[in-house]
Amino acid sequence: MTRRTVVLALPVVAVLTIALAGPWLAPGGATTPVGSSFEAPTDSYPMGTDVLGRDALARLLVGGRVLVLQALAATLLGSAVGLGAGVWAGITHRRRLGLALMRSVDALAALPALLLLLLLATGAPGDDVVVAVGIAIVSAPFSVRVVHAGTARLVGTEYARHAAARGEPLLARVRRDIAPGLAPVALAEAGIRFVAATQLAATAGFLGLGAGAPTANWGRMVRENSVGVTMNALPVVVPAILLVALAVSLTVLVDRASVPTRLAPERIDRAA
Amino acid sequence: MRLDLWIAVRVVAALATLTALSVVVFWATEVLPGDAAGVLSGPHATDAEREAIGVALGLDRPGAERYLEWMRGALGGDLGTSLATGRDVAGIVGARLVTSLAVLVPAVMMIVTLAGVLGTAAGLRQGGRLDRWLSGTTLGLIGTPDFLVATVLLAVFTAWWPVLPAVALVRPGESLWQHPELVLLPAVALALGGFGATMRLLRASVAHTVATPFAEFARLNGVRGLRYVWGVVVANALAPAVMALTVMTAGLLGGAIVVETLFNVPGLGSELTQAVAHRDVPLVQGLSLVLGAITLLLLLVGDVTARLLDRHGPTATGPAR
Repeated sequence: MTRRTVVLALPVVAVLTIALAGPWLAPGGATTPVGSSFEAPTDSYPMGTDVLGRDALARLLVGGRVLVLQALAATLLGSAVGLGAGVWAGITHRRRLGLALMRSVDALAALPALLLLLLLATGAPGDDVVVAVGIAIVSAPFSVRVVHAGTARLVGTEYARHAAARGEPLLARVRRDIAPGLAPVALAEAGIRFVAATQLAATAGFLGLGAGAPTANWGRMVRENSVGVTMNALPVVVPAILLVALAVSLTVLVDRASVPTRLAPERIDRAA
Repeated sequence: MRLDLWIAVRVVAALATLTALSVVVFWATEVLPGDAAGVLSGPHATDAEREAIGVALGLDRPGAERYLEWMRGALGGDLGTSLATGRDVAGIVGARLVTSLAVLVPAVMMIVTLAGVLGTAAGLRQGGRLDRWLSGTTLGLIGTPDFLVATVLLAVFTAWWPVLPAVALVRPGESLWQHPELVLLPAVALALGGFGATMRLLRASVAHTVATPFAEFARLNGVRGLRYVWGVVVANALAPAVMALTVMTAGLLGGAIVVETLFNVPGLGSELTQAVAHRDVPLVQGLSLVLGAITLLLLLVGDVTARLLDRHGPTATGPAR
């Protein structure tokens, strides 16, 4: 690991720690008012108060976990689907079926992600799990594409064709010939999907999908408190900085990690 | 494959996708829990009351039957009536679409101009100062979710430097097109959201063209200046660029949901978030169907245009998506 990699990894680790461990560290209730709205920071409330006079620091600490867990779950689910479908479509002998699968994946990827999230939220309102599933659904097509392209490249290599000609069973070929070459691509892809998923989860919170108020959520904090930026900007600025720091440093990390992830940032934006 | 056949296949694929979308829209809004009858009757209704309202709405009939009826209406331009206001959904969608376009069109124009010029400049001199600076800036922009960009703009222009109206209030009977000052801020927010990725894609496309043997051949033969940039680089980088621009425009429709909601622009996106909040099922269905149809139409037009512009056939720049 180079020194630059460590420097870039620091913000990622810091934000994830704040998000995941935050609820245990929160000083008091995140939903009980402790003063009037948008009070300036004091010693006991280092970030001041929010729109309803609640402790902004407590809400910040509580509000990240759901977001990161949603993104993690969506990434795991999306990557699993991506690996399964992508590898199968790349290696199968049933070319037409594989092609048909890739076409339907293209179709799914063409739809606006937020539209699908909003639709699911109409069907099952106020549910954080549904938001995570929704994010997985909209991000899986992109994983399938990348994994499929990687698999198709590996299937074309001499050693993989030898193995196929020898009549090795499918699973053995996947494990010995495909998996080692595919792992870095799949990992980098999962990193990109995670960044896109945190952004979608934050946007979902911003739009008020998922668990309703008064639950704290970084996306919702930005929305709620944007009316009071002149009085106390911290409840808006701090969650925003955390989200941007996580996205930018993780993107640069993935971008530097390997060649197959070139144009990684564009792929995030198209998904989010 | 012959061109007309290829276009026909694309059109059929787009129609198939739209049909699949309509099924998803219908399933998500009508079959999932949280039904319209429960919303209309309120939280204190008895089961019998809920059932009566469900029957009145036709919810007791099988889903497939209701779906076919909805589709038949949609094909004839009838999307039902809004549960919340009782108004005609097709009429609402039409009015909102005009407003959305008033913000979307300027945003796309801004992106095309800025990303086109800067992307070409950066791609021509890869690794130069401008290229490195833009690479950093766009990375930051891409790392920032749309809603943060919009919130920052809103905060700056309402709180610290109130020269532009931040909330688009239009008197009834007037259209947003007549008020450029109201459109500016949401359009800029939307444009900033799409600018980063588009610029990087255009830059990559230009850099790829610059590195090709035919571009080098032109340089060695003394093709210079504007003739080189316009006639060699831009002309050959255009097909993937058009592709990138349509994908970006389609993506802006998603970004518009956030931006319109935040700036109170009465467009398709803000209407959709409100309809979701009020669980106004027919309105959600109509808006989703129209948004999805526009997205697919944009991508189809982009596919066909890129194919027509491509000078080297579909194999030279990789398979057309």
